[in-house]
Amino acid sequence: MSIVQQHTAASLSENWRTINIDALDPDSSTNFDTSTLHAAFPPVSHSEIVSLGQQIRQLLRGGDAESALRGALENAPYGGDDAVKETHLQTVTEVLQGIKASEMTPLLERIWGSEGGAEILDVLVKYLYKGMASSTSTSSSSGRPGARGSNLTPQSTGFSQMSGRPGAQNESSGAAMSVLLSWHEKVVEVAGLGCVGRCMTDWRKV
Amino acid sequence: MSTPEVHQLFHNPIADHSFSADKQTLAVARDTRVELYGRSDNGFKLKDELKGHDKTVTGVDVALQSGRIVTCSQDRNALVWEPSPTGYKPTLVLLRINRGASFVRWSPSETKFAVGSGARAIAICYFEEENDWWVSKHIKKPIRSTVTTLAWHPNSVLLAAGSTDAHARVFSSFIKGIDERPEAGVWGERLPFNTVCGEYLNNSAGWIHTVSFSPSGDALAFAAHDSSITVVYPNGADQPPRAVVSVSTQLLPFMSLIWNGESEIIAAGYDCEAFRFKGSEKGWQLTGSLESKGRPGLGDAREESAFNMFKQMDLKGKTTDDTQLKTVHQNTINTIRIYEGSGGAVRKFSTTGVDGKLVIWNA
Repeated sequence: MSIVQQHTAASLSENWRTINIDALDPDSSTNFDTSTLHAAFPPVSHSEIVSLGQQIRQLLRGGDAESALRGALENAPYGGDDAVKETHLQTVTEVLQGIKASEMTPLLERIWGSEGGAEILDVLVKYLYKGMASSTSTSSSSGRPGARGSNLTPQSTGFSQMSGRPGAQNESSGAAMSVLLSWHEKVVEVAGLGCVGRCMTDWRKV
Repeated sequence: MSTPEVHQLFHNPIADHSFSADKQTLAVARDTRVELYGRSDNGFKLKDELKGHDKTVTGVDVALQSGRIVTCSQDRNALVWEPSPTGYKPTLVLLRINRGASFVRWSPSETKFAVGSGARAIAICYFEEENDWWVSKHIKKPIRSTVTTLAWHPNSVLLAAGSTDAHARVFSSFIKGIDERPEAGVWGERLPFNTVCGEYLNNSAGWIHTVSFSPSGDALAFAAHDSSITVVYPNGADQPPRAVVSVSTQLLPFMSLIWNGESEIIAAGYDCEAFRFKGSEKGWQLTGSLESKGRPGLGDAREESAFNMFKQMDLKGKTTDDTQLKTVHQNTINTIRIYEGSGGAVRKFSTTGVDGKLVIWNA
């Protein structure tokens, strides 16, 4: 009896049929270093990306939305760490939110028609998807604290629909999402589905 | 432009197709078998079936001079089918690969063929007289992933391969006793077996779907999953290429491409239609589709009566029938091959795809 048990335990621990042999082969495609698929990125420090963000915001405030968007997308910090990338995403999202819906298509068409424009729009699509993926609200929390003053209104039933406002967070991220979605629609109109495919195949992540 | 010749062979995907030299026989990879169709007055009639594989057949190629057919399959085997008066006789080829075979092509000399596979290797197969069988030599390095596509250089020594590791590579497949020593050219001077003559990828590094040498063999084009085509003009051994031109398109990725002369490429893929690119070393451009849109007979020209419109709305909940694509092919085009041409210029080419159609186009 005990021998049988030992035997079973041994065969469980050495369950060689389930060993992933590909992981043990250094030449295997599972051990393929995907960073060899692109040139090495120059490192980007946090202070650099912050100052770049300030320059871009300045352009945006000055009314030059196209240069702001171009500047933000041409200088995507591929070589930065996650915090740097997050900071730049914030900048790009602000630029995107600062451009009126009616200006999107002419702006995108100008960029598409220019030298290297296809590449810039590919980067834009990457940021759109990153913006959609980031769970925390990337909108610069344009919360309206005063707007909810009506909370003070006594509710006779004691059932307050206002208190807590669980949807408040969702509302601002929803607004950010709708901006990203309308940009996405406009980019695909200009750059076609090719830019979505390129965003998926590209190893240079924003 | 005259209308293309459309043949609905069946309603299964076609992985690959190949015509015999006289264009009277068409070999089509369908599921686990290869079907041979003969030209009849107004179409193609099923003549013969080559049953030898027990998994999906991924590639088929008919040698133009000898009439031999080579097939490869996910069952890790390749078979050479020798024509004989009593039908085709299969011979198994020792590929020595441990993953499925993905692609097969005869070299222009027809003395050897190359098989791409998921085993990160290309098997170069040739016939060994003294043992009376087909043997293979492997090109392994530096391939890091499945080989999806292959293309031969006109000199039958150089071989281009595209892989899911996003690289298009040019190898030498020189085999002593089989090949004549090739002349030195833009791809290099000394070319022993497995020499890597070039290794290319583009910026967004999508996996490669198709590769092709230009008719002269001095340029290489490849299409990747990032909806781009890239053309490489090499500059001799160990030199960086003279030019690498990449065109990112607004379209879906291309699955197959052919050269029409040195300054035109025809590519087709997930958009279900063929597109034309024109250019040179200085730059390439997408010039448009080879299909004229809104051809008659696709239902959009018919004038609807009000009665009909309401009847359709009642029956189907919509007024127009939009279940058909506006293209001839109704699904992805997998293979595009030169059907008729001379000196590198293409007059007609054929396409097959997932919709089971064979279409012969005027270039």
